[in-house]
Amino acid sequence: MISTPGPLNGIRILDFCWIGAGALVTKTLAELGAVVYRVESRTHPDNLRLAPPYRPGTEGLEGSGYFASRNPSKHSVALNMATPEGRTIAARLAAQADVVASNFRPGVMARWGLSYDEVRAQNPDVVYLTMPMQGETGPHASYIGFGSTIAALAGLVGLSRATGRTPVGTGTHYPDHVPNPGHALVAVLAALRHRARTGQGQHVELAQLESTVSMIGPALIAAGAGQEPEPQGNRVDHAAPHGAYRCADGQWVVVECAESAHWRGLLRAFEADGERVDPRFVTHAGRKAHEDALDEWVAAQCERMSRAELLHRLRAAGVPSAAVKTSQDMVEDAELWARGFWQEIEHPVIGTMPISRTPFRRVGAPRPELVRPPLLGEHTFEVLEQELGFSRAECELLAHEKVAY
Amino acid sequence: MSEMRDLKEPSQPLSDVRVIDLTDEFGAYAGKLLADFGADVVRVCADGEDPIATIAPLVPTVHGEVSTFERFVNTGKRIWDWRPETPGDLDRFADLVRSADVVIESSTLQLERYWSTAEVAALAAHAVRVVITPFGLADDPVGNGGDGSTGAEPAGPAVDDLLVMAEGGLLHLGGYEDLGPVVAYGGQSRFAASIFGATAAIVGLMARDAEGGRGAVYDVSAQECIAQALEDSAATYSLTGQVRDRLGERPREAGTGVFPAADGYVSMVAGRLGTAKAWTALVQWLADEGAPGVAILQRPEWGEFSFRQSPAAIDEFTRIFTEFSTARTKAELYEHAQARLIALSPVSTVTDLMSNPQLRHRDFFVTVDDPALGRPIGYPRPPFKMSATPPRAPRPAEAPRPTRDDLVAGTPGERRNAS
Repeated sequence: MISTPGPLNGIRILDFCWIGAGALVTKTLAELGAVVYRVESRTHPDNLRLAPPYRPGTEGLEGSGYFASRNPSKHSVALNMATPEGRTIAARLAAQADVVASNFRPGVMARWGLSYDEVRAQNPDVVYLTMPMQGETGPHASYIGFGSTIAALAGLVGLSRATGRTPVGTGTHYPDHVPNPGHALVAVLAALRHRARTGQGQHVELAQLESTVSMIGPALIAAGAGQEPEPQGNRVDHAAPHGAYRCADGQWVVVECAESAHWRGLLRAFEADGERVDPRFVTHAGRKAHEDALDEWVAAQCERMSRAELLHRLRAAGVPSAAVKTSQDMVEDAELWARGFWQEIEHPVIGTMPISRTPFRRVGAPRPELVRPPLLGEHTFEVLEQELGFSRAECELLAHEKVAY
Repeated sequence: MSEMRDLKEPSQPLSDVRVIDLTDEFGAYAGKLLADFGADVVRVCADGEDPIATIAPLVPTVHGEVSTFERFVNTGKRIWDWRPETPGDLDRFADLVRSADVVIESSTLQLERYWSTAEVAALAAHAVRVVITPFGLADDPVGNGGDGSTGAEPAGPAVDDLLVMAEGGLLHLGGYEDLGPVVAYGGQSRFAASIFGATAAIVGLMARDAEGGRGAVYDVSAQECIAQALEDSAATYSLTGQVRDRLGERPREAGTGVFPAADGYVSMVAGRLGTAKAWTALVQWLADEGAPGVAILQRPEWGEFSFRQSPAAIDEFTRIFTEFSTARTKAELYEHAQARLIALSPVSTVTDLMSNPQLRHRDFFVTVDDPALGRPIGYPRPPFKMSATPPRAPRPAEAPRPTRDDLVAGTPGERRNAS
């Protein structure tokens, strides 16, 4: 069994979280020491197992780098939930789990006989996590969505745009990656601590819409106070310039001048003659009042230099600045490797690839060692034998009958 | 003592926990989340200055401009207007730290600004310290190196959300092909860092419970928190060498994207990641409504996902669907698409959200009479429902008060015993 030393040692999780948001919750719980049994099936695989990227030449259910990035340190238990036997085994595993987690549409777990009430009847102190898109009650409870459509519905996309252009949000399924797994994680951990103190389990429901709306909570309060916020792009009131600018090599940097010292530093970095710079830009108020012209001038200056040279100059001049890091920059970032954010794993089909760890560490302790993501059904026999007392022959029969499959 | 939480109330996961909140914009939401679960969160504002009080959005009130970011993330907290220059106040602060189960700090190690490493180690011996910074702490942040330093790092130039979003890799994926990166609204790296900060706090409490009450320091990097959101891009680079660029207004395949409606925009995902049925349903919907050009989409090649990923197919679909969608409202498109199991949502405005029937049905907005804003306002409630320990309803942060003898009653052990 895979068990990472950590504060959740002894916690067993039956994991029906597929695709996006839920898989990151159980990934973190595994890193914190829980034993995670991920239920999936060859007859109905997690869609993420079919999602690119693949290393050229390696496709199929075991080859997805996307799946791998979200599922290290978990066990894979193949159960065909379309069969009564598969559902019975799942119910037996649920009866002795500490946490049962899912992110299906409302009704799916109940169809499998795994509703909260059914699991609780066998396992009164279970912590039962569900992550429906809009909640399990209400007129839109059955509506479906993906991260990008949830971000749109939640107001984040509409506020993330350039003036006069189609709103684009983060360009990703962002709610699946931070807001929804993050809020669910906090709530499950709180529920586990409550259970440790009182023995009481509960149903934790994380409605993904509500979780994502919370990420723009201040905008809602402002609107309630009569000031509906407008999209700001990269601009803020207290600094100008404050934006992203392209360099000569096609890479981008962020430059910010909140103080006059930053502005003077920027002029030094550009080797601009202060006397000859547009007089409208001398004061912060002037730069804010003529921000379009300012951005145009800053952009022209940035385009004269490579990103590396420009950043070197900006830092030497004390100007708040950063590379707009690409995925290549992130994967090759020496600091992130030194901090242990990335860990290289060796996978029998994919080969080596870096996987990110949960983004915090206990000072003075090593970060959890990730175990490579499981092949589909890799741990089925082991789990059925150890958890439910099946014999190897029984396991093989269940596999042959496409139940443990 | 009437303001102390009810020590006999066991109904909240953190009702035995006192949190000292010494955070800036990257950590303040962590304290709110812990307060949602019943913790007694005391935010300490030196000289009455809250470093987040100027963060947008700002709304005008009779008291001047008020930050609704500050109002939102300080929900449920008590505020101590701490006067470091006042005789005795440093001792009061020390008493408060001694009473803390969790200390959340951001920008840098805050306690080391006032005490030596050894003094902090004694004061916070039983506390879970969660330090939320833009890029994480140094290897040996609590100064065990023996050089007598406090371990507190000098503050560099102010780091804000845009810089963290750039360094965390998410900024690169947002924005437009021609305009370049445009950051997501609202300071998402602040919320991300705080969510994982709250996670670390509860993990720390569980570890402390298991380790006989010994405290520890947890290091939360906002950059790493945002780097959780790189989607498939890091794996794509690692496995293929391809650097994913921002998509901008151009979707990855026909059936997906943001499209204009008569009164705004809608967002749709149909035809990818196992939604092949949704593509069929989408074409049928267009056919049933007599959409011009639908016959093109009914040709056999459109049934192939690989064909729908071609630039020509994306352009053709966008043309056909835009003509259809601009003739209908967001609400009409939403209702009809969902009835056909197509993942389409309106691109909501904030006003849309406040009248959203689903959110209203679920009482997502709770009317809060916040004196700082001068009127009752619908605040979002905590975004989780918990059957045994319902999170606290939002309460406005208290007005800062200078004299808070009530803050420091009880040590963690006494409170645990009392509860």
